[in-house]
Amino acid sequence: MNDLPKQKETTLSFEKIKKDILHPMQNHKGLELWIVFLITVISVCGWAYYIQLKEGLGVTGMRDYVSWGLYIANFVFFVAVSLVGMLISSILGLLRIDWITPISRIAEIIAVAFVAVAGLVIVLDMGRPDRVLNVMIHGRFQSPILWDVTVITTYLTVSALLLILPMIPDLAICKKELTKASPIMKKLYNILSLGYINTPEQHKHLHKMIRTLMVLIVPIGLAIHTVTSWLFAATLRNGWDTTIFGPYFVAGAFVAGSAALIIAMYFFRVNYRLQDYITDLQFDKMGKLLVAVCLVYLYFNLNEFLVPGYKMKTGDDVHLKELFYGNWAIMFWASQLLGNIIPIILLVNKKFRKPLPIMIISLFVLAGAWFKRYVIVIPTMLHPHLPIQNVPENFVHYYPSAIEISVTVLSFALVLLIITVLSKIFPVVPIVETAESKGIEVKIDA
Amino acid sequence: MKNTIKNIAALFLIFVFSGSIANAQGWTVPNSAKKKQNPYEATSKNISSGKKIYNLHCKSCHGDPTMANMIPLAPVAPTDLGSQNFLVQSDGEIYYKVNKGQGAMPTFEKTISDEDKWMVITFLRSFDKNKKMKQQVAEVKNPEVTDVKFELNVNEADKTMLAKLSGVTKKGKRVGLQGIEMSFLVKRSFGYLDVSGEDPYTNESGDVQIQFPKDLPGDREGQVNMLVKVTDDAFYGKLEEKRVVTLGVPTDPVNPLDERAMWGTRANAPIWIIVTFVGGVLAIWSVIFLVLFQMIKLPKLAKNKD
Repeated sequence: MNDLPKQKETTLSFEKIKKDILHPMQNHKGLELWIVFLITVISVCGWAYYIQLKEGLGVTGMRDYVSWGLYIANFVFFVAVSLVGMLISSILGLLRIDWITPISRIAEIIAVAFVAVAGLVIVLDMGRPDRVLNVMIHGRFQSPILWDVTVITTYLTVSALLLILPMIPDLAICKKELTKASPIMKKLYNILSLGYINTPEQHKHLHKMIRTLMVLIVPIGLAIHTVTSWLFAATLRNGWDTTIFGPYFVAGAFVAGSAALIIAMYFFRVNYRLQDYITDLQFDKMGKLLVAVCLVYLYFNLNEFLVPGYKMKTGDDVHLKELFYGNWAIMFWASQLLGNIIPIILLVNKKFRKPLPIMIISLFVLAGAWFKRYVIVIPTMLHPHLPIQNVPENFVHYYPSAIEISVTVLSFALVLLIITVLSKIFPVVPIVETAESKGIEVKIDA
Repeated sequence: MKNTIKNIAALFLIFVFSGSIANAQGWTVPNSAKKKQNPYEATSKNISSGKKIYNLHCKSCHGDPTMANMIPLAPVAPTDLGSQNFLVQSDGEIYYKVNKGQGAMPTFEKTISDEDKWMVITFLRSFDKNKKMKQQVAEVKNPEVTDVKFELNVNEADKTMLAKLSGVTKKGKRVGLQGIEMSFLVKRSFGYLDVSGEDPYTNESGDVQIQFPKDLPGDREGQVNMLVKVTDDAFYGKLEEKRVVTLGVPTDPVNPLDERAMWGTRANAPIWIIVTFVGGVLAIWSVIFLVLFQMIKLPKLAKNKD
């Protein structure tokens, strides 16, 4: 790390850290405007959902062939991105890697926002959302759908706990420092800080809980995306019928999640003026991590496409040819090249791991990840083993309708709104942990 | 002027030539094969057995003869085998095509016997308007009758069934009808099983007896649903009788949904999957609740300091 440019020397005191991190939460002009914009988008797109609810799923582009369309592709993408919480704050946290301290909370916020909306996307995909509880009431233990609902709920709970628990010392500070906060917020800080005053017993007790959850979330995180992949792999269909789908999805999730985290890091660094905390070092390290997970994902992609492509067995051949040089070729190769291979080539270069270039590259990786999910879900649906005969022309193609696109935009706006609100009411960079990691004495008054 | 005539002549030739190709659909039959003759007579017995074989092997694609209800395959749909366009071919040609197959039409060279193939051709020929005369040749003559019915006698001891087909003549006398094919069908899960045997034709007194299979499973009491009918409606209209008979082997039905399996209902999920799921959920959530419980302790630890 000696070749990195020297960080701007700043003398950080506990007071300065508190001020730097808490200040943007209350004094950010654009934030309200951004929230109003997001609420407007949600309202407009909510109207599209109202139409879908009223008219039924016929208003979407989904028909007998493609019954899992844009919504499910989007759902898989959201679940994938949410896995970054488990990767950063849990796996790297348990390995005691110190540079993640300032970004671990952003990772958890992303995890909570994406997994919460992922669950909601499934409900949005239902023709009769009022029957959603039937999955729990009548669910079969043999069905991956039941496992998926269970594991997503569990992951959301543990992620939320892993967001709140490490934040308790910071909330105790918020309670004292944010004098201008509304009474409701003060009450929230008061309740959530759980009377924390940083006694050695409390510190020990709290960190024991956090470490327990960090260990717990590793199997849950692996399970959430493995089970999501089993929704596909447990079905006998070309392109889904593979044994590596679980790890393939997990690897892809790390790619999407890391890219999303880098983008969020960049925006918080710029908008909240957190250059002293989310430094070039974090971007450099995240760049290296992104290369690593991209390489693992590339390896899985080779296995996933090269081996069946070599054999071209009956049934698979139609599907693979459509991907390699058929109707899906542009989307397939764009997601592979722009979303994986070119980012790897660029990011091994130190210059591209600076905040702005890596953020732009991450945008491509994230977009590639989204289109990759689309390519995984829809072409397979179009090539069933038993063709359905004598169907109308629009059954054998799939184009998402305007309603579908609007509802998908709604889900994205909702994710951004959750992230924005969470980052407005909670400090996005851990105050106490940052101070502790820099050897600054922490004082929380009772 | 000469050129124009030549051009027209050339165009005409092309037209005729291409027309003939389209007509033959590129399926040429060697002349030697065309001359082959059907060795079987067009008796009603042969025709009805041909119909049975037709329904088994041909109907799924070609549909019913003369009904034009074949399945619409692309690019070449199956022909209606009862159409006059088809029946202009000689028996030998049809026989050759059945044997060889082409495109989506499979070869039946080894799938069905020669005799059966000729029976099918006999059956198809019965739709040929030009050869109707020939069909009449070997038929059994029954007197003109009214009020045709059959009586069914079931012998449960030796598992035989006897049907007696009769009608009332103009003189008011009830007589047996001879040489009429009867069908004895047993209802199974997906349709009827034909248990008529080799020779289900009524004798001179209108009787036909069949041997019911000794090993056919019935329900718990050995009951099966029988459908007995005159095979061909063309003779005396629709004549059939449904009856529940106790000729089957008593069998306890096995419902695959009753066993524990992946495809079962929730109550019949395999034990290992219930244990894994419930165990996993309990393990993870008990840890979560443990942590939540520990959170309550946190404020108390602050008080201890004082």
